[in-house]
Amino acid sequence: MEYDVEKREIEVCKELSNLDRFALDFVEIVRKHTDYVIISGYVSILLGRSRVTEDIDMFIPKISSDVFFNMYGELEEKGFWCLNTDTNEKAFDYLKEGYAIRFAKKGESIPNFEVKFPKDELDENVFNDFVTVILSKGKIKISCLERNIAFKKYFLGSDKDIEDAHHLEKIFRGKIDYDKLNKVKELINRRKENEREKNFFETRQE
Amino acid sequence: MKEKRIFLKPGRNNREERMNFVEFWAEFVRTHSDKEWSRQQNNLINSLIPDVES
Repeated sequence: MEYDVEKREIEVCKELSNLDRFALDFVEIVRKHTDYVIISGYVSILLGRSRVTEDIDMFIPKISSDVFFNMYGELEEKGFWCLNTDTNEKAFDYLKEGYAIRFAKKGESIPNFEVKFPKDELDENVFNDFVTVILSKGKIKISCLERNIAFKKYFLGSDKDIEDAHHLEKIFRGKIDYDKLNKVKELINRRKENEREKNFFETRQE
Repeated sequence: MKEKRIFLKPGRNNREERMNFVEFWAEFVRTHSDKEWSRQQNNLINSLIPDVES
């Protein structure tokens, strides 16, 4: 596995798993319609972590309904279905309301893609410094390692998340920008503080 | 070429054991070919995730 920090590219000459093939199939359709970045657990798995996941998390930018309907149409045409609804309007409503929607191969529930809009600037920044993973049968855009590690350690924080972060830190030791990681950590802490304040005031209003 | 043998440090509890394995496996991935680690990884992934090629 070769990580070119300057080019923000990681070349992996791995044997593709069923999960990798599923990811490449989905990404191949999405990228024709909009930008995307894959985040969280699958990033660690793609880069060698010894575990499985049933879902792959993806951010897409806040696109118009027309763009979304075209993408939804092609996903259906190419054998995917939405697990949340059978209409493109409802799926788009969910996204606009801040929910994630899931797509799997028709007739299946797992594995699935969990697609969502970024909810704030911190999320939107994933599109600015993504890393491209180059595989034998295609490319996949992932959020940069520093963001992945910071979110796993300081936002999600379960044992599994800490282990995912640790894996990335070990694999790419010497190539992680800890100044950047700490800046993301600060923004995460600010978001958590804002959410705490919001919850506090909402509870008081009830 | 013979690849470097790596040893797993036992943990004093489940959490430490798991973390030691993460380190052990990461070191394996770092020091072995992509084909070798992915072959082993795919034994796990493909046993649980079906081939969904349509």
